[in-house]
Amino acid sequence: MIQADYFWKTIILLSIGTIAIRFSIIAVSGKITISERLKEIFSFIPAAVIPAIIAPMVFFHEGSVEVILGKERLIVLIIATIICYRSKSMLATVSSGLILLYFIKLF
Amino acid sequence: MKYFIEGLKGMLPITTGIIPFGLVMGTVCSEAQLTLLQSVAMNLFVFAGASQLASVDLMGSQTEVIVVVATGLIINLRFMLYSAALSPLVGNSSFLTKLASAYCLTDQNYAVMSAHQGKLTESGEIIKFYFGASVCMIVTWHMSVIAGYIFGNFAPTSWSLEYAVPLSFVALVIPSLKSKVFIYVAIFTSVFSIIFKTLPYNLGLILTAILGISFGAFLTRNKVRK
Repeated sequence: MIQADYFWKTIILLSIGTIAIRFSIIAVSGKITISERLKEIFSFIPAAVIPAIIAPMVFFHEGSVEVILGKERLIVLIIATIICYRSKSMLATVSSGLILLYFIKLF
Repeated sequence: MKYFIEGLKGMLPITTGIIPFGLVMGTVCSEAQLTLLQSVAMNLFVFAGASQLASVDLMGSQTEVIVVVATGLIINLRFMLYSAALSPLVGNSSFLTKLASAYCLTDQNYAVMSAHQGKLTESGEIIKFYFGASVCMIVTWHMSVIAGYIFGNFAPTSWSLEYAVPLSFVALVIPSLKSKVFIYVAIFTSVFSIIFKTLPYNLGLILTAILGISFGAFLTRNKVRK
């Protein structure tokens, strides 16, 4: 159970920080020019952050399928990554991953 | 109005990505026993799904406020990239337009804008298109989160719905890997995030992010010199 005051404190701080990030470069537009090189460095942010959330979440998960040492989520993730790369579709990635995990756990 | 409608239409195909993501968000909120009001308020104020998912997860294990906020903001750091992309288009607009356009920045909006930018010439047209796309995004997002919140209450645990979180993150990051360099950065950060997992206060994520961005800058250093 998440305490209400704890929840609101976190969410308010997160909201203020998030709008500040979103507004940052827009706010200084016309006053400061962002170099192409800096924009290029910014473009690495998604690739540098999102895999760092996914990898530990899945790698350290203790599953239940013994033949693959409980690493069914890791295997499903790799397959889902390939499906995503081919389809570029969130719907296909999420649904195929969940269905695959469901069936692997049945066996 | 014409460009606003075109923006709405431009976002429509992307809703197939927003809906499952929103459903996951709603499900996670209901599983964490947040009230519907708390879930909707978070959606409205933060309006950044990936960071919301991570923070609900951390709040569930009573993580300190500062750690939850820092983690969420690291995840949202990519909006700086989108802010830079949008800034030349709203440079001459009013403060309120600038603020509203900043609030609407999302992965999906950025993707739609990049795909359609060639067709729109004037920055005025692009802004109308952008707000049209944003309205479509916001409506779809809130509806699907509420649907997920209701649905999540009766989905059996054997469906492992929480696993949709890493899966939807995969679908967020794959389209951003535009060349080999980005793929190298993604592999590099995956490995380092696993190595740094045991560091306290989620410092591993912050450290990995800094190392990953530096690694990308390092790989592209020669291109700048010539």
